[in-house]
Amino acid sequence: MNYALNGRLGTGRLAKRTTRAGLQALSLATFALGWELLARRLDSLLLPGFVETIAALVRLLTTSLLWEAVWLSNQAMVLGFSLAAVFGILLGLLMGRWRPAARYLDPYLNILLATPKAALIPIVIMATGLGLLSRVLITFSYALVVITINVRAGLSLIDPGWIEMSRSFGATESQLWRKVFIRGAFPAILTGLRLGLARAVSGMITVELLLVALGLGRLILDFQGRFDSGRLYATVLVVVAEAVALLQLFRWLERRVAPWAGNGVDR
Amino acid sequence: MGRQRGGPVIELRNCSKRYPSQLGQAAVDALEGVDLTIRPEEFVCLLGPSGCGKTTLLKAIAGLVSLDEGEVYIDGDLVTGPGPDRAMVFQDFALLPWADVVTNVAFGLELRGVPKATREKKAFELVQAVGLAGFDHHFPRQLSGGMQQRVGLARALAVDPQILLMDEPFGALDALTRRLLQEDLLTLLDRRRKTVVFVTHSMDEAVRLGDRVVLMTPRPGQVRDIVEVGLPRPRPPDLEKHPRFAELLEYLWQQLREMRP
Repeated sequence: MNYALNGRLGTGRLAKRTTRAGLQALSLATFALGWELLARRLDSLLLPGFVETIAALVRLLTTSLLWEAVWLSNQAMVLGFSLAAVFGILLGLLMGRWRPAARYLDPYLNILLATPKAALIPIVIMATGLGLLSRVLITFSYALVVITINVRAGLSLIDPGWIEMSRSFGATESQLWRKVFIRGAFPAILTGLRLGLARAVSGMITVELLLVALGLGRLILDFQGRFDSGRLYATVLVVVAEAVALLQLFRWLERRVAPWAGNGVDR
Repeated sequence: MGRQRGGPVIELRNCSKRYPSQLGQAAVDALEGVDLTIRPEEFVCLLGPSGCGKTTLLKAIAGLVSLDEGEVYIDGDLVTGPGPDRAMVFQDFALLPWADVVTNVAFGLELRGVPKATREKKAFELVQAVGLAGFDHHFPRQLSGGMQQRVGLARALAVDPQILLMDEPFGALDALTRRLLQEDLLTLLDRRRKTVVFVTHSMDEAVRLGDRVVLMTPRPGQVRDIVEVGLPRPRPPDLEKHPRFAELLEYLWQQLREMRP
């Protein structure tokens, strides 16, 4: 009886997962087919078909041109994001636990949140030139706010009862930070990092397209200028693939280290 | 009594606490001049209407609340903060949602630097003792309220305190669960011999559990009366039929009714 029940539940879950994967595959296939049909119908130089784009992508992947661009772009992104992670987590913790800091820093956070960050790019470049530093600073500014806000929101969910309970068992200040505040805010910290990473990728591409023609942004501009629509689309696909892969990696990490969080706020 | 054994004496001397006024609210005299001595291995219930400062008094003994006047002494030593001789059970359980049952039960030991293997062995034993065998790796949100408070009780017992401080621990539970936990608490304490200070607003609960009932008045919180329960221990299952039980409830009810504002 029991076994049968377990068995049924097990296959039920598996079936559900298979159905979901199937539907997602179907969705992508429909999109690719629609794209291909539309391109054939328009028969324009400006819109390559799906097959043509994939062929261009395969050719691109075998050249050093693409990989050098990926490497160059990601240097700035990785550095800027890492800096944003460190500062964002520290700022979020500070603002979440210390009211004067929150009051003092709130205006700046709101300004950064409200300003279209592309408007900052010319200023940063005027101040720091066209080198790596300016690109690092820009990806940093793209990612910082969302990380800070999420860490701070995570701390606001810490129940004062947990703090009192820990104190009653003799917790020291450092134990409180490690075992209650940071531990409790961990899912929110990871969510902040995931969203910050998405921002950093968009910062990296924006700056390369707008002012510092370099890396993937430069490839995109080059192919656009040469009306090489196959390779242009292929390069954009590479950017999309990188962003999606990074986000999925973080989502997987979140579920692994914070299984208690269940259905998170942001999915 | 027959419980004259070792263990600390808790002495409260002239304890006063006033919560200052906040926006739109007058200042509250939570405690005023409370004197109380709790004997070793005694089970004392603090009974009173809500807002009578009984939780404040309990937290003063725990070292979580600082008094404006007066002192708390445990075995002659002034209480200045929490200590390893005391452990607390909370009304809202205060379990960590990210930790499973064993990790929650071991949390007090973890804070005291006990190595992982040792503390988990101890926690495992206590999980069994409070009747949660098989739930070691469940998370709090998977447990009912009664089971969650069993975890809270096991966490307090795990650090093997001499004094158990319980802040309306069964207040959030339904009547049936409450009775079961009351019985199980007495059974657990039979084998452990601890001094217990138990805050409640239920007369029935105070009489079922306590050796003495301390009746408190609201605003300012003062001791109105101290009642010796004098019911046999271990408490018989048909305690309701004991004439003393009805007599005590009647007396406490009279007293509480007179306090009505």
